[in-house]
This record gives sequence, structure tokens and C-alpha cells, in this order.
Amino acid sequence: MTSPAKVWVYRDLIKNFVIRDLRSRYKRSFLGWGWSLINPAVTLGIYTLVFGFFLNGTAPLAGNGESTSFALWLFSALVAWNAFSSGITGAMQSFLGSGHLLTRTYFPPECPVIAGSLTVALQSFIESSILVALMVVIGNLAWTTLLIVPVMVLLTFFAFGIGMMVSLMNVRFRDINYLVGIFLQIGFYATPIVYRIDQLPQSVGGVNVAAVLKLNPMTHFVTSMRRVTYLLVPPTGVAWLVMVLSAVFSVLVGWTFFARRAPMYIEEI
Amino acid sequence: MSHTIRVEGVSKKFDLQLDRARSIKELITRRNRDASRNTFWALKDVSLEIEEGSMFALIGHNGSGKSTLLRCIAGIYQPNAGSVTVDGRISTLLELGAGFHPDLSGRENIYLNATILGMPRKEIDRRFDEIVAFAGVEQFIDSPVKVYSTGMYVRLGFSVAVHVDPEILIIDEVIAVGDEQFQRRCFDHLYGLRKQGVTIVVVTHGMGTVETMCDAAAWLDHGELQMVGPAPEVAAAYLERVNAAEAVRRFDDGAHLVDQGESVVSPRSGKAVEIVSMELRDRHGQVVEAVEHGADMEIAIRYRLQEPMSNLVFGIGLHTDGGVAVSGTNTQISGVASGRLPAGDGEAAFLIDALPLIAGNYEISSAITDQHVQHEFDRLDRTGRLLVRRGSHRAGVGIVEIPGRWRLSRPT
Repeated sequence: MTSPAKVWVYRDLIKNFVIRDLRSRYKRSFLGWGWSLINPAVTLGIYTLVFGFFLNGTAPLAGNGESTSFALWLFSALVAWNAFSSGITGAMQSFLGSGHLLTRTYFPPECPVIAGSLTVALQSFIESSILVALMVVIGNLAWTTLLIVPVMVLLTFFAFGIGMMVSLMNVRFRDINYLVGIFLQIGFYATPIVYRIDQLPQSVGGVNVAAVLKLNPMTHFVTSMRRVTYLLVPPTGVAWLVMVLSAVFSVLVGWTFFARRAPMYIEEI
Repeated sequence: MSHTIRVEGVSKKFDLQLDRARSIKELITRRNRDASRNTFWALKDVSLEIEEGSMFALIGHNGSGKSTLLRCIAGIYQPNAGSVTVDGRISTLLELGAGFHPDLSGRENIYLNATILGMPRKEIDRRFDEIVAFAGVEQFIDSPVKVYSTGMYVRLGFSVAVHVDPEILIIDEVIAVGDEQFQRRCFDHLYGLRKQGVTIVVVTHGMGTVETMCDAAAWLDHGELQMVGPAPEVAAAYLERVNAAEAVRRFDDGAHLVDQGESVVSPRSGKAVEIVSMELRDRHGQVVEAVEHGADMEIAIRYRLQEPMSNLVFGIGLHTDGGVAVSGTNTQISGVASGRLPAGDGEAAFLIDALPLIAGNYEISSAITDQHVQHEFDRLDRTGRLLVRRGSHRAGVGIVEIPGRWRLSRPT
């Protein structure tokens, strides 16, 4: 049986892993699910304060032609970035956390990674819904808002493929965990989230920074999220191409690597 | 015969330094480290076949590779060499409560665990009550499993594992944790499953289980297959090896039945009649501390007379370590007269053909009395230890095996 076929047989298990993760996550905490909203809210608040007010960051005019909100402009990008970074770390944690199970019962090792990604996807869905709700409040809505779905789905797959790769490598080399942390930190600033790519200097030391940033697939995901939710214009053709290719490539490589190597790595978890 | 499980030339290697920090730096700098020194072969070229619908036991001492083999069969470990072919849906019970999340309730864990074992959700809904009832945790089903007792944990784990309708059931030594009653129910259930054609592979240290329940067995030692065949034969061969190893060890320790050897000046000296020591001997006259059920043996009373004595009666008694009197006899009962004995050291030995005691710990007493068994010259009360081991032939349960035969009359 091929690896995807095996996983399909165990689809109930993936569902149960997700339920387990969700149920156990906030058990015995007073605010429970509130925490999953408080964290992004605080991040958004801090970034808005620091980058919007202290550093005078500005947002372009929203798609409805009347409002300008630095907070929402930032939020639309943060939703995308959170989906990416939590997608990777969630997959890693889920795989490592299932180590005791994987060495005691048989099930496809892909399952916990998929479940980890799904849990994060659910969180992304909630955050996206809040974003849309806020856009409804300021009256900044158009048909392009619907494009959130394909953009976020592609982004989830992109993160999932990378997540598969690093969660397996992390079993053998625990350094990966730290490397991923650093990589995500650099990635956050190497993606136009808290600043505007159109306001960067033409060249810094002879390097066209904007062009370099466009080599980062996340630039296209974040920019696309902003376009469809805030500017209310569809993503560019190049952005679509980059998003589709990076999602497909990431999943193909990640899954192949995982399916081939995971059985030998399991005993080391 | 169809083989559900076929293990061919399986070898499994483990890296012994797994707990050390593994880092990319290490990979680069210690590329050419001596690989053989850091690895351990848990299984070496093991081949066996397990027939469909049979109950198969894996036996061997701790660390012999039994659990590794189970994991290879279950598909959890990939062998480094060889192949495992399994035909059927496997359910595993390898560790106590594996798959349970402590914060989730019993109910949630049943669903989680059963899906891990590959049971569809609808099926779990249908069998849910049965699973709970078998585990006997109805009252606690909505409490988090971290408040469960060990026994409840095991029962729930076992109950889920056997109710997922496996074609092949793989069980490590977990059942041993439950109480007697639950173990019996487990075995009853396993027996029922086997009758339905489920193939069962167990790791066990209980030779009784192997002999009474299993069709075939494999004996592993240091990762190598020693023997595979009918369960009673393999169990007997294994026991023989274990007993022999223990005898050697005890001999090396210089252990004696009663620490009142001749070299030691006995504090009891001064009596006219004195029991110096008791000894257990096997049929070759070797001093032993343990005897196999069904073996010939003797219990010797070594005594010392300060002056000549007439018509002494020598007696021995046996108790279980729980204090139950098993048997007692003396030379008078047996109609043996000792006559007139000169002063000096002597010995009275009670010879037992085919020891009928069932495996267990026993205590030996001895006494020397006058001819009317009224005056006791000396007595050692339950100071001797007799360890009876399971022998090569199967025995019943209890304290002694009553000699007898069966006669069966068919219904007419």
C-alpha cells in the first residue's frame, strides 16, 4: 500500500488526534479556548503599537476607498504568517509528541503530522474568520475576500510539506528545532509583514532588496492575503504561480522524504 | 497450513548512543567513528512462521529480543535485514495504556485508542458498551484516565485491544499486571478469540500459560532463535536451561541449606543428641537447594551423638512457606528401626521418588525423639528451605500432585 493510501485508511485516527489536541490543549485552564484568540490579539496589539505608532508605519488606503487601518493591514499579513510558522512548529510538536505512541502501536507516522497541521489550519480558519468579521465592520468587503480560501489552503500545504521534512529531521538532529526557530525569526522580517515592500529604498548597498524579498515565497502569500482582504484586488499571476508551485513542491518533497525515511527514524523518537 | 506471519532472516540493530546528543556537528566531526562499538544487535537472523489461528508464545529472559521481535511483526520497527510478512489486521497491546492521553476521559481515550488500532468510528460506537463492561470501569468512564488505578489502566487497554476485531493480536507482558481474576478473564477471552480464528502472539514469562494455552513457541536468547516448535517442548527446553544456569550460580555462591556446616562450631553442642544440619540432595547425591517437581531427591538429617543411643526415631516435616502442613513422617511410622547407634556423627536420609510437590517454596523441619515419640532430643523447626521448580512434565495446581489416572466414558 502506498503511503497516502495507508493514511486514508487511518483517517479516523487523524480526526481523533485533532480532537485530542484540541481538547487537551486548554483543559483545566480558566479561559479555555479564549487563549487561542488572546495570543494573536496581543501580538497584533504590540505590533500595531510599536510599528504603527512608535515607528510611524502607515497602511495604504483600503479597497473600499475610504478607510485606512494599520492594525487590519497588519492583521491580514499576520494571519498568513501565523499559519505558516505555527504550521511548521505544530507539525513538529505533534510528531514528537506522538513518539511514545509510534513506538508502541503501529499506525502511519504521517498521521500525527497531518493532525498537527489540521489543528493549526483550524486555528487559521478562526483567525481568518475574525479578520473577515472585522472587514465587515469597517465595510471593506468584495468578491476577492473569498480568495482567502485558496490562498490559505495553498499556504497550509506549503507549511505542511516543510513541517513533514523538519519534523522527521528533528528526530535525528535535535538542532533542527533551534534552527527552525531562528529561521522563522529571520523569515518574519524577510517577509513584508510589519513594513511595506513598496516603501523600501531602491537599493541597499547596491542590492535591490525588494527583488530579493520576492524570492521568498512567503512574500507572495502575505502580499496575496493583503490584496484579497485589504486592498480587495486578486493576487497577481506571478503570485498565483509561486503559491501553487511552492505548495505542490513542498508537499511532494516533504511527503516523499517522510514516507521513505520515517520507518527507520521512529525508534529514535 | 497457511502462515499468517512469516519472519525471514530478521535482524535488528540499535544504536547504543541514542540518548547522547545527536547533532549535525557530531555527524560532521565523528563521521568515521567505530560503528560496531556503538551498535547492538537485538535480533540476529531470526526466522519463524506463525500459523493462522494459532496462539504463539515468545519466551526468553529479559533483553533477549522478544519485544523487539513483536515490534518488528507489528510493523513498528523496520528490520535492518530480512523481512516480515503479515497477512491480516493487527491489533497490538505492547505497553500498559499506550495510546492513552492522561488528561482525556476514559470515553475519549477509548475512541482514540481504538482508532489507533484501526477501528472505524461506527464500529467503536457499536462496541463501546462492551469495551467498558469488560474493563469494568463504567463508574469512571468520564473521568480523566490519570486518576485510574494501574489495574483499571491495564483492563481498559486490554479491553480496547481485544475488541477491535483483530485478525492478529500481539500482546506483550502487560496482562501480568492485572489481578488474578482479570487475568483469568483475559485468558478466557483470548481463548474465545482463538476459537474464532484470531492469531495471537504473546510474550510471556509464565510457563504455565505457554504450556496450557499456546500451540507453538519460540525461544530467544540474546537475539538469537534457540528453538521453535510445539509449546510444551520449547517451554521444557527453556526451563531446563534456566534451572541449569541457576544451579551453577547457586553452586558458585556456595549456598547451603542450613548454615550449620561442620566447620562451624555449633552453638547447640553439648546435647546428648543433636541435629547438626539438614541437607537436600538430588538423585546423584549432590547437595542442592532447589529440586524439580517429579525428580528423585533425599532429605538428610545429619546428627551427632555424644554417647551411644538406642531406638531413636528420626522425623521430618514439610510446610508450605505459607505455613500449611503438607506432610510429616518418621522412622517409626515407616516401620524402620534404628537399633543401637554408637557415639559419633551419623545421618538419616528420607528418600523421595518423584517428588509430588507442585512448584513453590517449602519449609523443612526435622526432629529426633525417643522410641515413643514422647521425648524430643532435638528439633529444627521449619528452618530448612526447599524450593521446588516446575519440572519437565506438566503438573496440576495446588500443593501436591496426587498420583492417579483418568478414565473417560463417552456419552452413550
